[in-house]
Amino acid sequence: MSNLASKSMRVVKNYAKAKVREATSNDPWGPSGTQMNELAQLTYNQNDFVEIMEMLDKRLNDKGKNWRHVFKSLTLLDYLLHAGSENVVYYFKDNAYIIKTLKEFQHVDDDGRDQGANVRQKAKDISNLLADDMRLRDQRKNRAFMRDRMTRGAPGA
Amino acid sequence: QPSRPVDRDKAESELALNIKKATNTDETAPKQKHVRKCIVYTWDYHSSQSIWSGLRVQPIMSDEVQTYKALIVVHKIIQEGHPITLKEVQQHVGWLDTCSRTVGNFGLGYAPLIQAYVQFIMSKLRFHRHHPEFNGLFEYAEYITLKGVDDPNEGYETVADLMNLQDGIDSFQRLVFMHLRGISNNECRISSLVPLVKESYGIYRFITSMLRAMHRRVDNADEVLQPLVQRYNGQHHQLRKFYYECSNLKYLTSLINVPKLGQEPPNLWQDPE
Repeated sequence: MSNLASKSMRVVKNYAKAKVREATSNDPWGPSGTQMNELAQLTYNQNDFVEIMEMLDKRLNDKGKNWRHVFKSLTLLDYLLHAGSENVVYYFKDNAYIIKTLKEFQHVDDDGRDQGANVRQKAKDISNLLADDMRLRDQRKNRAFMRDRMTRGAPGA
Repeated sequence: QPSRPVDRDKAESELALNIKKATNTDETAPKQKHVRKCIVYTWDYHSSQSIWSGLRVQPIMSDEVQTYKALIVVHKIIQEGHPITLKEVQQHVGWLDTCSRTVGNFGLGYAPLIQAYVQFIMSKLRFHRHHPEFNGLFEYAEYITLKGVDDPNEGYETVADLMNLQDGIDSFQRLVFMHLRGISNNECRISSLVPLVKESYGIYRFITSMLRAMHRRVDNADEVLQPLVQRYNGQHHQLRKFYYECSNLKYLTSLINVPKLGQEPPNLWQDPE
């Protein structure tokens, strides 16, 4: 009984981590809007936030062969910076060098395709966004406003 | 202690391995994944000491390719590492000097490049000693954040010093191009152009912003700033040529975006866009 309880506890504890792992997997399609939205909501919970950051950190520092992990983590991060808790912004301003140093990410796959280019471009975009407080604030505000309108429905509806 | 989930012991042992791999004897670019780990290390622990001691235990001086790769690694780390790196490297100028005097020559022709690279890095370090407010890549935004204002009074001499450094980059990059070989693999030599492109562009943009700010604040600006502007225009053309030549190196353009400058230098007395 107690064994079962601790097992389910562990599942609950690693829920956010598993979600990140799923959203940034090696599958050739991007993280879905639903996945990213759920993770964004989870960042408002302190425990989930820590788990998400831990997993993101791991993925962002993955090796070239796993460039999809890195690329999708950047996609997810971009989303979280816009729609997640303010703590995501603080955390990545603090650790901006993790993203900045990805601007020279390299990986050429077995067919000779430069798969690093996507990572480099995204790292550049996010670095610029992190350095521009005003733009980031505006974009976060717009996002919140849109979400608010969507959930309440159009006026008069 | 960084806010990232890290393990110091693991980081130290990995660092030693990363340094070793980044500076091995293969005549290739230092692998960016290893260089990146070094850079990230300096930010995580606000220290670069383990990097310098790690470099010292490598048999770098016995092989010209290793020496050259080590210099590229050093250049990248002082550019992008935590600001403390630029201070700490000043204690290791002796080691750099030894690099240029003890070239293990195996006939691959790196000796003159090594000497010129050390000379350039030394002049960069001198600049940073005199102007500690600059970061390794001369990012204007960070400078302004630090200084609070764009102060024209201390601008003149600073701009002149930056221009000297820019000339240093220019003569070194020419030497690198001169040493590219038609037949053989040039990857290692070309990879040393990457930090040069970044640094020269940082300096260029810095000087551009600085001259604009000075023009707004200084009386008789056109006349007072004339010598600097003349030099600026000359450097614009040099740099444009440098970037043009870089843009023809396929290996290089697969690593970074090479900036494109306009045919003529921008009019500094007009606000941009």
